[in-house]
Amino acid sequence: MNEEQDNNQPVSRQRRRFLVGSAQGGAAALFLSPLGNLGAAAPRKPASSEDIVSDARTPLPMTLEVNGKPHSLRLDTRMTLLDALRDEIGLTGTKKGCDHGQCGACTVLVDGRRELSCLTLAVAAQGREIQTIEGLANADGALHPMQQAFIEHDAFQCGYCTPGQILSAIGCVREGHADTPESIREFMSGNLCRCAAYPNIVAAVTQARQAMEE
Amino acid sequence: MAEPTSARRQAGMQSAGMKKTNSERASPRYESREKVTGMARYPADMRLPRVAHAYLCTSRIARGTIQAFDLAAAKAVPGVLDILTHETIGDQPRQVPAIYQGGYLSDSFRPLGSAEIAYWGQPIAVVIAETYEIAREAARRIDVTYASQSPPAATIDSPEAVTQPLAPMDIDVGDFDVAYARAPVKIDTRYSTPAQHQNPMELFATQCVWEGDHLTVHEPSQYVNNLKFGLAEQLNIAPERIRVISTYVGGAFGAKGFLTQRTALIAMAARRLGRPVKLVATREQGFTVSGYRAETRHHVQLGANRDGRLTALKHEGWELTSRADTVAMGAVSMTTRLYACPNIVGRVNAVSADRSTPGFMRAPGEMPYAFALETALDELSCELDMDPIELRRVNDTRTEPVGGLPYTSRSLMQCFDSAAAAFGWKDRTRLPGSMRDGDWLVGWGCATAFYPTYAGNSAARVRLSADGRVHVSSATHELGQGAYTMMAQVAAEELGVPVEQVTVSLGDTDLPPAVVAGGSSTTASLAPAIMAACDAIRARLGVTDATSGTVSTAMATSGMGSIEEFAETRAPGLPADSIKGLYRGMATPFGGVHMADRVQFALGAQFVEVRVHARTHEIRVARAVGAFAAGRIINARTAHGQLVGGMIWGIGSALHEQTELDERNASYLNANLADYLLPVNADIHDIEAIMVPEEDSLVNAAGVKGVGEIGVVGVAAAISNAIHHATGRRLRDLPFRIENLMNET
Ligand code: FES
Ligand code: FES
Repeated sequence: MNEEQDNNQPVSRQRRRFLVGSAQGGAAALFLSPLGNLGAAAPRKPASSEDIVSDARTPLPMTLEVNGKPHSLRLDTRMTLLDALRDEIGLTGTKKGCDHGQCGACTVLVDGRRELSCLTLAVAAQGREIQTIEGLANADGALHPMQQAFIEHDAFQCGYCTPGQILSAIGCVREGHADTPESIREFMSGNLCRCAAYPNIVAAVTQARQAMEE
Repeated sequence: MAEPTSARRQAGMQSAGMKKTNSERASPRYESREKVTGMARYPADMRLPRVAHAYLCTSRIARGTIQAFDLAAAKAVPGVLDILTHETIGDQPRQVPAIYQGGYLSDSFRPLGSAEIAYWGQPIAVVIAETYEIAREAARRIDVTYASQSPPAATIDSPEAVTQPLAPMDIDVGDFDVAYARAPVKIDTRYSTPAQHQNPMELFATQCVWEGDHLTVHEPSQYVNNLKFGLAEQLNIAPERIRVISTYVGGAFGAKGFLTQRTALIAMAARRLGRPVKLVATREQGFTVSGYRAETRHHVQLGANRDGRLTALKHEGWELTSRADTVAMGAVSMTTRLYACPNIVGRVNAVSADRSTPGFMRAPGEMPYAFALETALDELSCELDMDPIELRRVNDTRTEPVGGLPYTSRSLMQCFDSAAAAFGWKDRTRLPGSMRDGDWLVGWGCATAFYPTYAGNSAARVRLSADGRVHVSSATHELGQGAYTMMAQVAAEELGVPVEQVTVSLGDTDLPPAVVAGGSSTTASLAPAIMAACDAIRARLGVTDATSGTVSTAMATSGMGSIEEFAETRAPGLPADSIKGLYRGMATPFGGVHMADRVQFALGAQFVEVRVHARTHEIRVARAVGAFAAGRIINARTAHGQLVGGMIWGIGSALHEQTELDERNASYLNANLADYLLPVNADIHDIEAIMVPEEDSLVNAAGVKGVGEIGVVGVAAAISNAIHHATGRRLRDLPFRIENLMNET
């Protein structure tokens, strides 16, 4: 019930493509990491493991296009787009709530569609247009209708889920999933709000949809 | 730094023309723009030059010892800078007491203090590396050999768990046994609630940076001064050398109330390395980084006359705790004081098991204990064939029955009446199963909500400039409850300036100290201090009223560039020397049932409509109406958010939330946000929160009772009662899931 995230699809497809496309060893290391939680207690020493993973650690030069600006970086290939945005580019508006694709706090727009930046490797985001919360307002400071609606409807409390909610909501409207409160509730359910500002989020999305369509 | 007398506070309020009733204002949040543009900087967002990254390695057993670490593979990963284990950090940080022993820490067990393992998920090593990816990889390459003592005691019913009656919490009034034996109508039932985790969206982050022998900590906190003074004690350094900054907190709900064991480890790592160190614990690790709501069991016995009047009430609770700390919320102190009754027994037991120390989670004791009592009352109303609202009405009281003390104000039945009217309760048909709508079994239920009114000592500084601008500062905390907004608004009203002219600083130990942001007490504690500082400014200007513009006009013509006033206020009921605690990170909220001459509670009524699908047994809360009387409401908008959010938490507590235990090894099975169910947008339908006007000049100078937690309380009972009304089935164990309505008929 928690995970009504149709935006997961392109992300995991993207990740799979990368895994296949990269050197075998690197892929093995990448594949291990989501499973690594199972515990340090279990010794995990595949033969020549050192050789295998050194591949993934070697920083790879790459260019990410964020909010219309190119950023040339050298990154550990295991780094997620989320960490690249926050730690390397300095756009800390995108938030980490789980790092596992379970909360929506890290939602950004990639090529105009909502994606979870914690499930997107930075290397896989090359050549795609990334939009974060920092890139929404106009240069003159005028807020996007969704940002304005969130303020007017008090659609947040602590604000931690808010950047993800706003970008997800824009995606939701563009997908045509914001026509009714029921549809908004359903298609915004991948974005958890522990403060539980849900009724106000629905009201904000409803208002912004009208403004965005005008 | 003179402490204003209450008379002076009173005079100030009157001269300023403050209304103690609900403010009409509902100004947007002070920090709205920052929050919708990504510019609000939470502690993990602070970018420190040359920062190294920490990753925790946690225990996979719950009880035993570490026999050996093999760190070779971890150390061999290029970019690893340091690994802390109990073998490498010696006896640092120091063993210091937990809050339960008068100290600062959320628990007293030092996770890297020795080879001992006391709970699953216990940090046993900290890897520091150049990048997060390297630290994580190295942590997973640490090979640990454990000597496991099994089976561990996982929960209250485990054979190895130790039950300890907490005699100081005993309540005995009249003769319960005799009265219960004689009661013509009796209820004797048991209830349970599960372990739950706060899971604020923001992870537990800590960043530490040393400059010389001065340490700055960026960490989301509900009490920055607790963190500062506790950490100083752990690190054995002067508190003046520590600064804690937490200007935005991404939700807390009790999880960030007190210093946890992780902070000193990161501070030590940063000192050893001579570089800033950043930890962002994973979501799973967060389940054992701080306290949580422990599982509880309840035995409730009610005796009543046929007219519904209670003659005997007994509530006994069992709460899980760790072996290191005896923690119990013990809210029988409240459930025994809600209704008139001549014969009462209250008992609390702590049950120690091999788990991390529990702590505070939004309405920590109130939620589980209210669930038990308020469900039992509904069972009694069914037994009596009496409307559940009428049952509350015949047992309503102006004085609590345990100590005979008066309620400062009590608007319980006003809440029931206004919520019932908004809900349409009069159309309810009494018989279970009688309100079916097609395939959906419809049930309506209600329950009382209560939360004790607390306040703590707090200080604030207010500066008024010649151009009419105002700055308010205090080391209080913005958790999403609206502290920035409240501070700006109180100062604006007190000085008669537009709220747009007020700026606010908070969440920094360099500012005047404030109470912990817990116990729904921020506004009740801090508003009086801001009022007192504004009062002093007006006194300097010789202005007695604050109607629009008079203060700024006087200021502009005074010839002074600015006036700055500091004020500290002592909360009602606290002794004079308690003010010292404010300057040592020990300002704790006080009030509720602990006052010498009175009790003070916010009260409310929760109404829900549930729909249970006849075939699938799916349970939906179609709508909920809550009415709450909580004294003066400073900002209707942020208060509404708190109440609605609380009610949704109540729905979560009833239908979703449960930290699942693997009883074989006392581990958590669902320590992530996909498997730990909490309400998502699609779970929530119509929620209405009504604020019932209430004036209470006794609780504190601001007349504020607080709304942060009461919204949670009573919802689970109302839902249980509604499910019974819908199906005839009485569910007594939270959470209620589809499978609980299957099997039996
Ligand atoms: S941080 Fe990406 S979904 Fe939670
Ligand atoms: S506003 Fe706090 S989590 Fe959504």
